[in-house]
Amino acid sequence: MTAFSSFLFNYLNGVTANVYEPVSVATRAAEVWAHEPWLAIGWLALGMAVMLGFLVVIGMGLIYGERKIAGHFQCRLGPMRVGWHGLLQVIADTLKLLVKEDVVPAKADKVLHVLAPVLAIMATLLALAIVPATPWFQLIDVNIGVIYVTAVGSIGVLGVLIGGWSSNNKWSLLGAMRAGAQIISYEVSATLALLIIVLFAGSLQLSTIVESQADGWWIWRSHLAGIVAFFTFLIASTAELNRTPFDLPEGESELTAGFHTEYSGMRFAFFFLAEFINMFVASAIAATLFLGGWMPFQIAGLDGFNAVMQAIPPGVWFAVKTGGLIFLLMWFRWTFPRLRIDQLMGLEWKFLLPVGFVNLLFAAVLILMGWYFAPIPA
Amino acid sequence: MGLVNLRKIRRAKQEIGGREVAVVISPRPEQTRLGTTVWQTFKSLLTGMKITISYLFRPSTVVTQQYPENRETLQMFDRYRAQLKLVYDEAGGRLCNCCQICENACPNQSIKIEWTKNPDTKKKELERWIWRMDSCTFCNACVQACPSNSITFGNEFESAVYDRRLLVYTLNDKAGPDAKVWSAIEDPAEREKLMRKMDRYSGPIPLSGTSLPGNPSGKEG
Repeated sequence: MTAFSSFLFNYLNGVTANVYEPVSVATRAAEVWAHEPWLAIGWLALGMAVMLGFLVVIGMGLIYGERKIAGHFQCRLGPMRVGWHGLLQVIADTLKLLVKEDVVPAKADKVLHVLAPVLAIMATLLALAIVPATPWFQLIDVNIGVIYVTAVGSIGVLGVLIGGWSSNNKWSLLGAMRAGAQIISYEVSATLALLIIVLFAGSLQLSTIVESQADGWWIWRSHLAGIVAFFTFLIASTAELNRTPFDLPEGESELTAGFHTEYSGMRFAFFFLAEFINMFVASAIAATLFLGGWMPFQIAGLDGFNAVMQAIPPGVWFAVKTGGLIFLLMWFRWTFPRLRIDQLMGLEWKFLLPVGFVNLLFAAVLILMGWYFAPIPA
Repeated sequence: MGLVNLRKIRRAKQEIGGREVAVVISPRPEQTRLGTTVWQTFKSLLTGMKITISYLFRPSTVVTQQYPENRETLQMFDRYRAQLKLVYDEAGGRLCNCCQICENACPNQSIKIEWTKNPDTKKKELERWIWRMDSCTFCNACVQACPSNSITFGNEFESAVYDRRLLVYTLNDKAGPDAKVWSAIEDPAEREKLMRKMDRYSGPIPLSGTSLPGNPSGKEG
């Protein structure tokens, strides 16, 4: 336990002195595994507990926030009855879902029906684990972070497809097929947008990408390429999240509830939670790659301003950026009308994909010529 | 890609079937260049976002009423159709003259008007104006059909009852002549003599046929 206390001491020192030592929890566990296995298990348990806490707190917070914000966007009030301004409404809903009967349709494929929500939430959890929330607390930090994020994100669509297929319901199947077509299409654009930042940062590791933005965020420094990539990623990730204006897989006016029509109780809650946490993950990844993650806002030359910005803890920076992007996604959802399926496909293949390719080429030229602002000191 | 130019949407008058009708003329979608399409798309999306964010930051736009709490200050809407009411003039005379046009206009026979003929004046006198709220669809046909504007829908929306037979009731609290006869008489005491009190639930109750508890005069209809 001496190692832990010394870490705590160093950590607190680091916080006060603003010295960041980015080591992920998984790395710490791997380091001490050989000589102190209990400490390693402790680290892993801590990581899991934090994940669970994150999942529940973020899920509930986002659901409450979405309902309140949606209400005011539509000249309503949102939940007002349970607790002060409906604060306990989410807890009441969770309790209801927990005790609700779990119905499996008689002709459903039982194994797959049970497996689908688990796959959906697993993909979400795996993606959540890599988010670099603060420099001193990241659960896993693999050197192929960006690839990991896109790969793990694709497991989610498997959950949706299996859920729709196993329900043995026309609406579910239609919703799942739409989800499959949509997510596979838009993943191309999202990955192209991420690739531009990988080109600029010269690394796939998320913590390295964050550190490469110490002098300025990539959205500013990469001339137009970063801004175009940011908006491409925003549109593509909205589509991947199945959120309005791309919520055809759910399309309640046409498909009842799409792929989760036949789900109830906790399994429905899994899909629902996965959707909201995915929104957080997508916003966090966008914030990390384009807006500098936990890096404070810096302007080269203005030392006083920079010092003030650095005094704000990195966790707050991360929360503000991610929260802003989440708000933007909610703003999209409660403003835009839903697209038709052919418009959805047209937008991806005829517009976003060509723009993404041209942008990638442009970014490659910029990097070859060294034409971006404030290059990282080698 | 085709876009509808919103600026070219205009109101106009058009002759349809020999009548001047107010119409809105919307142009066909125009073929635009890619740049124009993209620009117009983002512009219109941003316009929508501006409107919704203005709602978010102005709590005064909220239309939700916190009903049980603000029961005292609740604002209802003029066009809301809650309960049918008879209209009375300033002197208190009932405008309804028992012509029964509303009864004929009602699509599902939710109105029944019982009247008697006064042998002296040879005029109809209202006995009961029975409204079946349970079968009423609140279509407003009776109000529109009424030639003397003597019925209207009010705002008293708290009409829940524990027994569905209570949804069939007599609207007039007094039986007697209409406003034309009533207002011609100057003396208030003389006027009152013409009227008989009529209670709300003593009319025919066309449901299960049993009389209501505490209301022995209820008879089958």
